[in-house]
Amino acid sequence: MANTIVTNLALPFTGIFISLIVYLIGMWLTKISNGFFLFNPLLVGMVLGIVVLAIWAKGTGSTTAAVYKKFYLPGGNMIFWFLNPATMAFAIPVYRVNNIFKKYWFDIIVICFVGGFISLFLINLVCKLFGLSAASTASMLPQAATTAVAMPIAAGVHGVPAVTAMACILNAVVIYALAEFLIKVLGLKKISAVATGLGLGSAGHTVGSVKALSLGEIQGAMAGVSVLIISLAMDILVPIYAHLFM
Amino acid sequence: MEKDKQPKDSNIYVQMGIFAAILFVSQLISDLFPKSFVVPTPLIGMVLLYILLATHIVKLHQVAKFGDFMIGLIAFLFVPSGIQLAAHLDIMKKEGLQDVIVIIIATIIILVVIAYVGALVMSIHHKITGTKED
Repeated sequence: MANTIVTNLALPFTGIFISLIVYLIGMWLTKISNGFFLFNPLLVGMVLGIVVLAIWAKGTGSTTAAVYKKFYLPGGNMIFWFLNPATMAFAIPVYRVNNIFKKYWFDIIVICFVGGFISLFLINLVCKLFGLSAASTASMLPQAATTAVAMPIAAGVHGVPAVTAMACILNAVVIYALAEFLIKVLGLKKISAVATGLGLGSAGHTVGSVKALSLGEIQGAMAGVSVLIISLAMDILVPIYAHLFM
Repeated sequence: MEKDKQPKDSNIYVQMGIFAAILFVSQLISDLFPKSFVVPTPLIGMVLLYILLATHIVKLHQVAKFGDFMIGLIAFLFVPSGIQLAAHLDIMKKEGLQDVIVIIIATIIILVVIAYVGALVMSIHHKITGTKED
């Protein structure tokens, strides 16, 4: 009897159920707190999900990693797979603003590659300053790319994809919390709309896109374009950077 | 973008079929790259879908409905990526706080560097072509 329950709990239903419940709690917290930045549904979902697995591990005398692998992963992997078509779909917003993209495509590529490369140097420097391990440092490098692209890149340079995923989630939280302040302090309303859009999109992912759209149509369009181009730039630059400087 | 608005959305199975076909080809291409230079499947899929749309081989109404639906779900789809940290709590115990601080600084670095490099590149562009940004 007990064995049947354990086998059944190891089916994908468990992971899918946990994911949905924690995300729904996150959405509810966002709603009742009027969008307090730490109650980002994704961040809440991530933290609560880990807490649930940790309590489960404590209750059964197992480790969190083992519970995660046995009971969460089968369902988690099913949801995770759908990131493939969802990430691919980001080509659609790029095509929708094709008239602006065609006008500035060369500038956009130069900005993302040059800006991306400079960012890698600075991020590496900050990692060294805080004494991060080599694995954590490698995980920090590709965070400007969208999560589904950044994780395999991190794995390719001996980073930990889980840390990269956390970085991408926190990027969005930071931009959600600080965007208005940063836009003001950095004078982003006064500089090129194309540049602002690319910056907000690269730094804040989907949340950055929303903030960019609030500044104007071109900014919003460029934030959408940045998902494709900065991911491409990180995919090419991070292995080169890691090979040369790490 | 207006000219693509008139045709009716394609059947949802056709839309999913196009996504599946592109992902299938992307997977095959992704496998060609060595382990030290990973090119993830969704990245190739994104580039291929853009090329197909830009060359009008695939029309917007054939992919937009399913694509918009998937993008609408994306925050939820990231949940398992976040929870996978449960398997690496040892790293978090050791340097979790430093990691979080570095991520906060890195976010600001990316925004500042891309925005200001962007402003520089754009001003050079406009100086060369003698145009003004609209």
